[in-house]
Order: sequence, then C-alpha cells, then structure tokens
Amino acid sequence: MAPLLQSLLAGILFICGTGILMTTNRRWMTGMLALQYMGVFGLVGVSWPLEIAVVKLVAGWMAAAVLFLTYQSLPDSRNRQRLTAGSEGYLFMGFAALLIGLSMYSLLPVALRWFLGATPQQVLGGVWLLGLGTLQLSFSREDIRIITGLLTVVSGFEILYATLEASVLMTGLLAMLNIGLAFLGAYLQMAANLEDRL
Amino acid sequence: MSTPIIWILLPLLVAGLELPLLRYSRILKWGGSAFSLSLVLSALVLPVSESFHLLFWEVRLADQLLIFGRRFILSAGDRSVVALLFFLHFFWLLIYNPKNVPAYFVPFSLAGVVLILTAYAVDPIFYGALFFAFLALINVVLLSPPGKEPTPGVLRLLIYQILGMLFILFAAWLASWIDLNRGDQLMSSRSLLILALGFSFLLAIFPFISWIPMVGERNHPFLVGYLFNTYFLGAFLFGSRFITEGGWLTGGINLQTPLQIAGVLMLGFGGVLAVYSRHLGRISSALIIAEIGRSLLAFSLFLGGFPIYFAMVVIQALALGVWSLALSNLQNGLADLELGSAAGAAHQWPLISSGLVVGYFTLAGLPFLAGFPIYLSLGSALKLYPGWINGALVLGTLGLLIGGLRILGVLLEDTGSEPSLILGERFDRGLIIALNGLLVLLGLFPQFVYLIARVISHLMLGS
Repeated sequence: MAPLLQSLLAGILFICGTGILMTTNRRWMTGMLALQYMGVFGLVGVSWPLEIAVVKLVAGWMAAAVLFLTYQSLPDSRNRQRLTAGSEGYLFMGFAALLIGLSMYSLLPVALRWFLGATPQQVLGGVWLLGLGTLQLSFSREDIRIITGLLTVVSGFEILYATLEASVLMTGLLAMLNIGLAFLGAYLQMAANLEDRL
Repeated sequence: MSTPIIWILLPLLVAGLELPLLRYSRILKWGGSAFSLSLVLSALVLPVSESFHLLFWEVRLADQLLIFGRRFILSAGDRSVVALLFFLHFFWLLIYNPKNVPAYFVPFSLAGVVLILTAYAVDPIFYGALFFAFLALINVVLLSPPGKEPTPGVLRLLIYQILGMLFILFAAWLASWIDLNRGDQLMSSRSLLILALGFSFLLAIFPFISWIPMVGERNHPFLVGYLFNTYFLGAFLFGSRFITEGGWLTGGINLQTPLQIAGVLMLGFGGVLAVYSRHLGRISSALIIAEIGRSLLAFSLFLGGFPIYFAMVVIQALALGVWSLALSNLQNGLADLELGSAAGAAHQWPLISSGLVVGYFTLAGLPFLAGFPIYLSLGSALKLYPGWINGALVLGTLGLLIGGLRILGVLLEDTGSEPSLILGERFDRGLIIALNGLLVLLGLFPQFVYLIARVISHLMLGS
C-alpha cells in the first residue's frame, strides 16, 4: 500500500480517536468507531492478506452495529443524556488528545525499534489508538465510554500485533473479543432497564 | 474423544443450554451441582491416554484437541486441576441460594470455570490471556444483575483485565525475541517488566488493587465471594503455567524477590484495610488482598510452596463460602453492610453472625481454625528468607486479627434490640453450622488438607 494512503489512514485513526473522545452524542461516537475500523483494516492489511485483514473490519462493524442498535432500543430519557461536560470539557479533551498525539509521535523512533516489521504509519496509528483509548478510559466512568475506550485500545493493539504475528486463532479470538465487548456494552446500557427476573 | 471435549466443550455446551432454563432456578442449582460433581468424578476416575472399556466399546481418551493449529492439552497430570476447579464450582453451587442470588449465576459460573480451564490448557500458553479477557466479560455480567447500574468497581475490573491481557500477549511476543537473541539483557528485562505489568493487572497487585475493595463494597457478597475465590485461583494457575512453560525460570532471571516484595505489599495492604474499613464488603476485600499476598509468598517458594498454596485454596473456598453465605443472608436483615449497621447482629441472628466470625477468623489465621496451620507452614517455609518477609507476614496477620476483633465487637454490641425476623432458610443455616464445624475440625486436624494439597501439587508437578 502506498505510504501516502497509509499516512491518510493513520490520520483518520487520530481524528476518529479524538472525535470519539470529544463527542457528546452516542450515535456520532459509534459512527466514528465504525470509521475507525476502516483505518484499522487498512493498516492491518499492510501486513496481512486482505482476506484475513477484512475480519477486523467485519468484527469492528458488527461491534459498532450492536452498540448503535442498543441506542435505538434505549428509553428516550436515557438516550437523551449527553455524555461528558460542556465547552470547557471539549477544550480540555481536545488539548489532552493533542498532547497524546504529539507525545506518541515523538516516541515513534523508539517504537519502530520494537516493531521491526512495521511501517511508521502502522506504528503511529497503533500507538495513537492505544493512547487515545487509554485517555478515554481514564477520563470517564460511563459504561459506554469505557467500552468504546476498550475497543479503541484493542484496535490499536491489533494493528501493532498484526505486524508481529499472523495466527488464525488469534485473529478469531480478537474478533470475538471485539464483538463480546460490544455485547457487554449493550448489556450494561440495558441492564438498569431490564426486569430483575433472571 | 478427548479430554478437552469432556472438560471444556461439553461444560460450555451445558452452560449454554442452561440459559433458557433460568426461571427454574432450583432445577438449575441441583442439576448444575450434579453435573459439576460428575465432572469432578470423571477427572478422578477416567484414565487419560490409555485404553479402557466402556460398556461394549473400547475407548481411548486423547489428551489434546487441535483447533486452528493450536493445541488444547489436558493431560493426566492436569486432572487434579480439573477436579479442583469443578469441585469449587460444585461447592459454590451447593451453597448458592436461588432466593438471594440471580439464577444466571449457574450458567455463567460454569462458563467462567471452563474459561479458566481453557486458559490453562491452551498451547502456546500466552493465548490463555485472551481467555482471561473473555472471563472478564463474563464476570462483569455476573456482577451486574438486571435492574441495576453497573458499579464503578466492575468497570475498573474490566479495564484492568483487558489491559493485562494486552501486556501479557506483548510480553510473550518479546520473549520469543529473546529466544532468538540469547543473552540480550536489555530485551530480557523489558519483557519481564511488561510481563510483570500484565500479571499485576490480572492479579490486582499494587497499584492495580483498587477494584477489589470497590467490587467488595458495592456488589452482591455471594457473587463477590465466588469471584474472588475462583478468579484468583485461575489467575494463579495460569501464571504458574505461563512462567514454567514459557521458560521464564531459566536464564538466571530472579523471580523470587519481586514475588516476595509484591506478596509483602499485598499482605500489608490487606492488614491495613482490615483495620480501617467500615464496611463488611470492604473487609472481605481486605481478606482477599491478604490472601493474594500470601499466595504470592507461597509461589515465591516454587516447588515447596505449591502444596501450601493448594491447601490455602481449599481453606479459602470453605471460609469465603461461609462468610459470603452469612453476609448475603445478613444483608436481608440490615439496611446496608456498613459496620455500624451490623451492631448487635450477634444477639439478633447468632447463627448467621457465627458464620461471619468463623469465616473471617479462619482467613485471618486465628489458632484452632483451619487457616492457622497453613499460614504457620508458610511462615516456617519463609524463615530461611530475610526477616522483613516474616515480619510483614506477622504484621499483616495482626492487622487482619485486629479487623476481626472490630467486627466481633460490633456484632456483640448490646443495642437492646430483640430478634425481629428469622434470617436465612433452614438449609442455609444448616450449611453455616456444617461449614463452621468443618473449619474448626480442619483446624484441629490439618493433615487432611495437607493430604489433598500434596496430591494436587504432586499430580500437577508430575505433569
């Protein structure tokens, strides 16, 4: 894949990761998560055959779809709750994301020594998602944000791990983990509204 | 036919089949108990990798199953681990009361035990980290009953388990690099550091300890007791296999001192938490944090520590079982589980309170109860090591005992209130009496526990 396209994909990953962090709307968040998986697919496809790399895209989109469908079936009151704070919150999160982006970029030469078979764009995309996902995990106590943060962290890891190992079982298990996390997110969103009959 | 089919795939299938039967909680309880017991018996009786006659057929049970190029191995030496895990499941199902605990405990706990076994059985072993991530998903559902918001502790548990998995997978890849570049000290220390981070997340070792008291305080005491007992056993089993099979003990790497430092830290935290906690759920967390510390100290002894560790697991299950059973019954009679709310409970509900006291003091290490001889053996085995380790063991135990005396003082407080309602079903009360008696008996005759522990560790190490 052309380096320019790879750079574009890494850029999309940073924008999506930052967008997920900043948005207060659940549907936008899920949309950006789905877009993020396209970037993951593209960068994993640099190391793997496309027919295996597409598993990442399918699993990621399924995860995003599960989360999106959950919002549709939530009661309106819960769905209208907006995530995170107002304009100061936006500014702070954006600034934190920028700091993560810059610090990860400065770590790129060191990281490239660890991932010998990876291109700089793959490493950058991976560590950006790891950093932004971790930021999301540390900023929020809301279940949906934590699930999205975990999906972002796992996506970053998948890009980096794809440059190290290509195992069918590992690919399948990671795909199942993504979908499992999404189902867990759906359950946690719904749990409070479910009847206590189990 | 192979052992992974009988002990992994079959129970997983049964757990799935149990899901539509959630409204028949009593059938699930007794059916699930019988199934777990049959798995324990099968692990003890069935010969592995040898031909035997089953009715008209000659059967040979293979010890491995190949899935997508990776092997799942449960050999004859692993039968003790299989029996122990399913026995623990059987025990928790036996003391589970469908009126107090959601029915989905039965299928989810079975699936959890199977995932622990899968993580233990997979080859290469680092794939096991992924199964622990799936276990975390199941545990989160288990601790988040319908009708309630998920608690912050449960979400933190999820985060730490997933991050732990990522670190372990990455460390395992780095370790394969070390094989190619033997003598690379820098790479070796880096991979060890990452591995230590991974297992710190998985085993909730300082500073990733916070979810234990959070979960203990806000979640159902019975489910918390079950989770603490089985999850940490699984994590230690996985860790021990990871370290031995991954070749981390070779190459002059010193694991003993870090294990002992971590053990001492955890024991210290457990002791301090027990002294200062004002919530019965948090106090149970103090017990389990101290137990993690003791387990790490036992593991630091390597071969000599395995029998002590398995003896601790058996006692831990019994003591946590009676503590959790008593606490979940007591919860029905109190406004909350704050220590102050339980004032005078021993006058109102003496039997339930006795379960709390005996369960707690067993794990605190009070003489004449089942925990004491085991912790004494641990201390004796550690006497060859620097004095600060034994000092911390004594101080941590002292903290737990002080915490226990606080509980006892509060329970015995004379508030002048009369018994208002009878707590617990007859079966639960009978179980509390039986478990109390067993813990006292095992304190007087600890050789039975040692015998079981020696058999388990002998079989495991023999493999």
